[in-house]
Amino acid sequence: MHITRRDMLKAGAAVSVGAVVAPSLFRRAHAAAAVDPPSDPTRYAGRTLIVVQMAGGNDGINTVIPYASGAYYSARQNIAIPQAQVLTLNNAVGLHPSMTALKSVWDAGKLAVVQGVSYPNPSSSHFEAMDIWRSADPKGVVRDGWLGRYLEKLESSQRKAFAGLALGNQLPGELLSYEYPVPTVESIQSYQFLSRVQGSDLARRRTQALMDMYKAFPSETPFAGLFDATLNAAADSSEALQRSNAGYVPAVTYPQNNSLSSGLKLLARAIDARLGLKVGHVSIGSYDTHANQTADQSRLLQGLSDALGAFYEDLKAHGKDQDVVVMTWSEFGRRVQSNGSGGTDHGSATVQFVMGGPVRGGLYGEYPSLTNLDNGNLKFTTDFRSVYATLLEEWLGVNADLVLGGRYPRLGFLQSVSSPAA
Amino acid sequence: MTQKKSNIAPSEAENFSRRQFLLGAGALGLSAAAYSALASAIADAPLRAKAYAAAQPSRKQAFQPIPFPDTEQARIGHLFRRAGFGITKQELTHFTSVGIDGAVDYLVEYQETDNSALDLRLAALPLNMTRPQDVPQWWTLRMAFTQRPLEEKMTLFWHGLLTSSFAKVGQGMAMYDQNQMFRARALDTYDVILKALARDPAMLIYLDNRLNRRQAPNENFARELMELFTMGRGNYTEQDIRESARAFTGWGLDPARKFLYARPQHDTGSKTFLGRTGPLDGDDIIDIILQQPATARHMARRLFSFFAYRDPSPLLLDRLAATFTRTRYSIKAVVREIFYSEEFFSDQAYRALVKSPIELVVGMWRQTEMDGDGRSLSGMASSMGQAILNPPNVAGWPGGEAWINSTTLLQRVNQAFNVSNQFVQRGLRDPQSASALLLAAPPEQLVDTLAAQLLDGNLPGGERTILVQFVRNLDSASSAAARRNPERVSSVLYLLLASPDYQLA
Repeated sequence: MHITRRDMLKAGAAVSVGAVVAPSLFRRAHAAAAVDPPSDPTRYAGRTLIVVQMAGGNDGINTVIPYASGAYYSARQNIAIPQAQVLTLNNAVGLHPSMTALKSVWDAGKLAVVQGVSYPNPSSSHFEAMDIWRSADPKGVVRDGWLGRYLEKLESSQRKAFAGLALGNQLPGELLSYEYPVPTVESIQSYQFLSRVQGSDLARRRTQALMDMYKAFPSETPFAGLFDATLNAAADSSEALQRSNAGYVPAVTYPQNNSLSSGLKLLARAIDARLGLKVGHVSIGSYDTHANQTADQSRLLQGLSDALGAFYEDLKAHGKDQDVVVMTWSEFGRRVQSNGSGGTDHGSATVQFVMGGPVRGGLYGEYPSLTNLDNGNLKFTTDFRSVYATLLEEWLGVNADLVLGGRYPRLGFLQSVSSPAA
Repeated sequence: MTQKKSNIAPSEAENFSRRQFLLGAGALGLSAAAYSALASAIADAPLRAKAYAAAQPSRKQAFQPIPFPDTEQARIGHLFRRAGFGITKQELTHFTSVGIDGAVDYLVEYQETDNSALDLRLAALPLNMTRPQDVPQWWTLRMAFTQRPLEEKMTLFWHGLLTSSFAKVGQGMAMYDQNQMFRARALDTYDVILKALARDPAMLIYLDNRLNRRQAPNENFARELMELFTMGRGNYTEQDIRESARAFTGWGLDPARKFLYARPQHDTGSKTFLGRTGPLDGDDIIDIILQQPATARHMARRLFSFFAYRDPSPLLLDRLAATFTRTRYSIKAVVREIFYSEEFFSDQAYRALVKSPIELVVGMWRQTEMDGDGRSLSGMASSMGQAILNPPNVAGWPGGEAWINSTTLLQRVNQAFNVSNQFVQRGLRDPQSASALLLAAPPEQLVDTLAAQLLDGNLPGGERTILVQFVRNLDSASSAAARRNPERVSSVLYLLLASPDYQLA
């Protein structure tokens, strides 16, 4: 019961006004994209990208700290990290002291730190900025996600039920596709039809009747495509996930009481079970540190660092570390000058981490000036779409220009790459 | 930072963006017309149908709203789904005879309805309103057992618009008090609501205004007041945010977490906000915001999309915005006008919204006449993506199609399974219960009786055939005695509650 675009768009018009774009338009765009030089399926087949969202606008300046700058210490008197505590990366910048686990990954040469990341005329609204990062379109025209568009470019053999997977109970915008319903999973245990668990003949027939009713729901009405395709995706992916139930045992102890680490553990299992995962997504919140930043951000960054460190070690122990790259993002950084509440207000440029066996560790992009500012905010040096383009093209093997609607310089943070494209 | 897009007319911005974004479109080999249609299809969900129709003249009929059945039963059912949480059997019988106008009056003038049975029921439960797990239970029970559905529905509207969260506000009475504030002022004028909100302890904590001081302004509340609670983006500048943050300095909390105006912390200096200059304070800011046409339109859109459908026409918005302004910001006047409008009872409105998880969970509970302390209900809604009193962020829940993904749809279907089993269990204990009376009903009658109660008697023919056939197959496999099998009732109820139709409001 694989979901194909054909199933989803059966009757040619089963589209939701709210969620699904007119099918013929997408079919046309999709067919045209196929004239693209085909990717090498064997080279890219086993590769996975994990995206970690740091929601709320992470303060990049106190994450990758310009500890050699006097301007830093004068702008942030109430929340500056003392020089002696910084986990130095070079003689100019270092990691927040709570990120010891990521520092170990850095020391192993498997952590890329991308600095000064944003885009022209950055938005300081959480919601507009998140939409921009998710759609990769600062103009706010395109609504589907950059990873959703990537999934649409996969060859049919790679379009498994779990080619995309989001942790939680909300589909993140970057995985939104108008032709490929990406499953979201909150817990393995609850991810199945209760009515089918009993396994009786009646239970089987009841579930079948439910699927039939979704098919019979008038296909020309709004939401028909959304409901039918999502139910089918749920049926397929819950079967696959329950089948994968056995086998995987974490090789490390993931941090407790950390929703990011439980999400990453589930992703590690999906990778280990060879469910065909191409892109996974997990989000961790509360980076909106308008007040009391010192304690809150320290706790958040430690949670992030410990979870990522455990994930990396777990993958290594399962022989998967060369198959997985992790990217973090946050919708904006924060203002250079701290506020009087021991926090920071919405800013612009921030940092991204890229981690994994295939990563060439180091600093990428220039650290923005702390004194030459735009209305109190950092001027960005690196477009986030360059990070996306590098991963799309060099890790996932698709034409990034088509996914992103334009050409962005590659950053060269992956080892297999000889030289960044011009 | 410069304000984005505020100086660009929407159409201009959009044209520019399409060109910009689809730089690579030449490579896609699209014709100019298809390319432009593709871009506008992507641009705006409500436009998609139109863009599609424009590009495909032969398929103009591709999108059909579900026709509004021309029955009083359907109108009453629709009204109670939107203004409340689904209709019970008794309400359906009663209000079908009262008629739609009487039903609207009953719903809107709810202060005339006695609600003491609910108060007694809640008082009998050991609930502690400082606890983050008890307040959602308390509120869910209110939704399930209130005689004033619109009062709770409006409280839910305000909670989704003027958000705060236990996750940040923490234990204590503040979240409960805010919820009661929304309830007490549910249909008040918007200036009264906003001025109460700006002094509300939970809000002062949630958006940090308690920390907003003369020497150290904090912009969090000022920004969201304009972006989310009133005008919407594009109608003010970053400078307006900074200036209005100064006007709210000193609006904080005392050690007991009650509102405190700390005069020494207030910036009494001159501010310039949306073109007005003076020693403005927070109430002045709210008054100026309410005078903006953008606020009237924003509230008209938010209310109409909550109650009717998501893409109201500009003309309709103008009409509702004019009412908002004419009545000096009366929420009741706008809500009443929505329920009296033709648009509210049009095809475009019928089953045009996805039920939110809390609507779905409470609605199943009400419509199957469950009883009990409702402890599990808010947790079920949470697993479907809506933890009431803990919205995901200050924008509340995105709603609509975003409610539906593989996990949340599984949880919806699974809750239907739980409820249908409980319904039948009760029927086995009580021979006079609705479920017991259905045990021996012929297949058509079984399906139609339940569909009348749950789905306005409006179950699409294809789905009805599947259900009837399902029961026939079940019956033919059993002896006559086994035909009183409770599984035939629970299965039909399950399939109806789990159906796509029932997910729609």
